[in-house]
Amino acid sequence: MRTFSNRYIFIYITAMVSIIALLLTLVSLGLKPLRENNQQIEKAQQILKAAGYGKTNKKEAIALFNEVSERNNLNGEEAYNIQCADGTQGHVLYVKGKGLWGPIWGYVVLSEDFTTVKGVVFAHKSETPGLGDRITEDAFQQAFIGKKLYDKNGKFVSVRVLPAGKDSGISDDNRVDAISGATLTSKGVDEMMRRLTVDN
Amino acid sequence: MKSYLGPLNRDNPILTQTLGVCSALAVTAQLKPAVVMALSVTVVCAISNLIISLIRNTIPPRVRIIVQLLVVSTLVIMVDQVLQATFYDVSKMLSVFVGLIITNCIIMGRLEGFALSHTPGASLVDGLMNGLGYGLVLVVVAIFRELLGSGTLWNHQLIPSSFYESGYLNNGLMILPPMALILVGGLVWIQQGTRKSSEK
Repeated sequence: MRTFSNRYIFIYITAMVSIIALLLTLVSLGLKPLRENNQQIEKAQQILKAAGYGKTNKKEAIALFNEVSERNNLNGEEAYNIQCADGTQGHVLYVKGKGLWGPIWGYVVLSEDFTTVKGVVFAHKSETPGLGDRITEDAFQQAFIGKKLYDKNGKFVSVRVLPAGKDSGISDDNRVDAISGATLTSKGVDEMMRRLTVDN
Repeated sequence: MKSYLGPLNRDNPILTQTLGVCSALAVTAQLKPAVVMALSVTVVCAISNLIISLIRNTIPPRVRIIVQLLVVSTLVIMVDQVLQATFYDVSKMLSVFVGLIITNCIIMGRLEGFALSHTPGASLVDGLMNGLGYGLVLVVVAIFRELLGSGTLWNHQLIPSSFYESGYLNNGLMILPPMALILVGGLVWIQQGTRKSSEK
């Protein structure tokens, strides 16, 4: 068995890592257009779903999205005016925050007067499958429909995500139940929603 | 040639070697992600076996695990990039489990136990066969789970609506991960039970 010197090992690993870095960069850059196109389609599908259009076909999603919405920059952040499936006008706001393992984000569709939630859609990069990942499920997202951002005294409280059964002084109109088993991801969504800014 | 077919049944990585079971539970609720996962693992296993076998005489023994990890991680990242560019919605379904292919014991197991000490040709075949053996189990489990749990196969409705009208219900338990474990157990039972007693 031949013995390998330290110098050999050092050069070997350095060369290997350099080649790999180059290779991965090329692959990632080369596939970037396809990947970004897919991400745009997914975004359109998600926002349309939150606005009440149900599941849209991959081929039609972008066309439909461009038809019913227009970009507008609320406070310099990404936002859209959208015509919801029920005919009313709405506003789409982008929210982002921190989950347990990585970033979480979403789009909140609000009524024209910015007071009521018409729909939400959440996404994440690496939350736990079966637990934190459930923020993407219909059951969780549909609970936000009809919730109000302001309490009975007109104060802005956003829609809170709180453990069920806990009495925290927040009226039912301003809260949804957190996902059991996904405490930290739910807290991340709660914190993300609290930072929602609606200057109208 | 007979020994090459070993991983398909007699030495099946999941049923006999009890490797790679975790991802088998997570991605088999539907047939489509199961097939994509199986193909991904097969590709990574085969190509990493080939590469490690080709460079086996140049790898310093002190860093061989590191080198194996480098090769497997690079291949997995490339597979992940390709999936995001082509089968985007399936890559979302597989989520963290594509990255976890790196930790799949089948792959490291075959690299250590075969590729380091065999020729590239034999290693490539060994990687392919183990990947396919793994894939076979995934596909069988997924067919049961999707058909009985959702009435569909590859997202096409197979159970006719007349069945539902007569009172047939989808078996919700099938979609939950514990059922996958029970099915794998059942497959192990069948496989062990049908072995010739001389081989036991």
